[in-house]
Amino acid sequence: MKKLNLRIRLMLSAIAIALVVFTVAGVLSWKECQEKVAEFFDTYQLSLARGLSSTDWDDVSEYTQQISNQIIKSVHNADEEDEAIGFAVFDNIGNRIFHDNKYGKYFSPFGRNSSFSTERIGKEKWRVIRVMSTDKNFIIAVGQELDYRNEIVEEMFEEFMIPWIIGLFLMLIAMMWVLTIEFRPLNKLAKNLQNRHDSDLSPLNETDIPSEIKPLTRAVNHLLKKIDGMITRERSFIADAAHELRSPLTALKVQLEVAEMTADKPHALSDSFRKLEQGIARSSRLVEQLLILSRIESGEVFEPEILNWQQLIQQIIDEYKSEISAKQINIQNKFTKAAFLTQGNAFLISLMLRNLVDNAVKYSPNGAKIEIKLNNQSLSVCNSGIKVDEEQLSKLGQRFYRPSGQTAKGSGLGLAIVHKIASAHHCQTKFYNTKTGFCVSIFN
Amino acid sequence: MRILLIEDDSLIGDGLKTGLEKLGFTIDWFTGGNDGHEALLQTPYDAVVLDLGLPERDGLSILKDWRNRGQMAPVLILTARGDVDERILGLNSGADDYLSKPFSLKEVQARLNALLRRSSCVIKPEISYKNITFNPQTRKTFINNGEVILSPKETALLELLLLNRNKILSKETIENKLYSWEDDVSSNAVEVHIHHLRKKLGKDVVRTVNKIGYILED
Repeated sequence: MKKLNLRIRLMLSAIAIALVVFTVAGVLSWKECQEKVAEFFDTYQLSLARGLSSTDWDDVSEYTQQISNQIIKSVHNADEEDEAIGFAVFDNIGNRIFHDNKYGKYFSPFGRNSSFSTERIGKEKWRVIRVMSTDKNFIIAVGQELDYRNEIVEEMFEEFMIPWIIGLFLMLIAMMWVLTIEFRPLNKLAKNLQNRHDSDLSPLNETDIPSEIKPLTRAVNHLLKKIDGMITRERSFIADAAHELRSPLTALKVQLEVAEMTADKPHALSDSFRKLEQGIARSSRLVEQLLILSRIESGEVFEPEILNWQQLIQQIIDEYKSEISAKQINIQNKFTKAAFLTQGNAFLISLMLRNLVDNAVKYSPNGAKIEIKLNNQSLSVCNSGIKVDEEQLSKLGQRFYRPSGQTAKGSGLGLAIVHKIASAHHCQTKFYNTKTGFCVSIFN
Repeated sequence: MRILLIEDDSLIGDGLKTGLEKLGFTIDWFTGGNDGHEALLQTPYDAVVLDLGLPERDGLSILKDWRNRGQMAPVLILTARGDVDERILGLNSGADDYLSKPFSLKEVQARLNALLRRSSCVIKPEISYKNITFNPQTRKTFINNGEVILSPKETALLELLLLNRNKILSKETIENKLYSWEDDVSSNAVEVHIHHLRKKLGKDVVRTVNKIGYILED
């Protein structure tokens, strides 16, 4: 489901919360109104009953009732509100001796004394109180129709709630406006990112933004920095690679021209072809190594597996058998059962070993000794007979770096690949000279 | 023309040596900066092809040292970097021309010929002497517009004589210019080539200066 825009969602939540609060407040207000109205009219009824109870009723007769009926009729104005209150006066045996000529004539003399009760008179519910007269000879009943009270409550409630509804409406509009303003930095941020040129990786402005957006801006900036670093690395890699390919290409071009010139001399021509082949093999190896290096550098994840070091090392030694015997190199292989690294990618580890052995064989003089040592601390490949200048040691492992004074063929990528593979396995690489020669150590 | 080539890349060096030799140059090829540096101080080369990215010793420092020691030989530098700064630095350090890798053999030849022309004060790309015309780029020789077929060594000898007109060239100088260090030179090789040249181009083309050498006179 598509998520609604945050602003609209906030608005809807605000409306929902407002409605709940409004309903709760409404219900409470309704109750409060009811109570207040009941209290008010009860007091009114009670004071009327008290007033009537202190009146002398001994001399009241039929005639008095008639006179008072006429007075009430004449006093009752048409537009005067009818408060639906009535009263009746009974003597102690229950005879109605006086009433208000409207409601009181229906009241019954019997019921609880001195307290309110709800009674049904005809179809309507009435609230009635009965009080004894001061001389205990008469009972005064005062009643009010409950419907009237409810009407009053409703009217009060309505008048009470109208400002609230208007207020709520105004509040929502104000909120909408505030949200629009408050969301401006976020919109600005989005626009900034959207309108950016593809190559623009400059960080976003981190000042003048609300603290809520700061983590997001920071995260975006962090990502931008990472991408920038990655692109810089890729660029320098491509530049280095292009540069490194110039030499093999020149060799191919020049050798091809030589081949063209010697087209009529089969012996010279086959010599040229042999050199062209060498050149192509060299270029392919360079490209292959570049590709592997770029795969490792780009952070491609290689599946880890349990490593069989013994087998891997033996394979590489077998691969270099002819070179080793041609140079009369004495190769020694010392390993303990526990290796410093038990899990890794066999392809990469084997590539690392090949580069280490290749390096050792290539740069060793005839009759040198190569020692491959593996234990629970490290893997080291040492060769005797050649040392590397101290100042050049630190540069080994950088791609395309080749120490000066070399006659062996190489791209300057071998140790860079070793270094990268070690890093990919969270291991470190150390290049150092010993008393007799040069060593490369991998350890974690 | 004897050229000193200093290039550490074995395939490029080999290609340049073989190719330029086929084009009539005499090449001494060194892979190390130190040997190459020493070679120019020992032998009078007509031009130098110098790779800047040498392992032993930086090409630029070799070039500066040569110039400080008063070596005049024109130098063509080979750079692997395409950037202008390095080329400017090379030219300012005393180089006469540059080529960026990857370059073609023909271009090396053309640039070397241009450098040689300039150092011999020759203006036209074709060198003429009386009724003989020689084109250093195509290595072809003509008499009255008719082509004469000369062997590579004879061509090289003719070119040497044409570029050093009115100068007496000793037998030793000629040997030095025609043969590299690794060539076996028979004691009468120069006499044989002179003899062939005279046979093909006319008797009076080269005058022998007794016991000193040979001269091509206007």
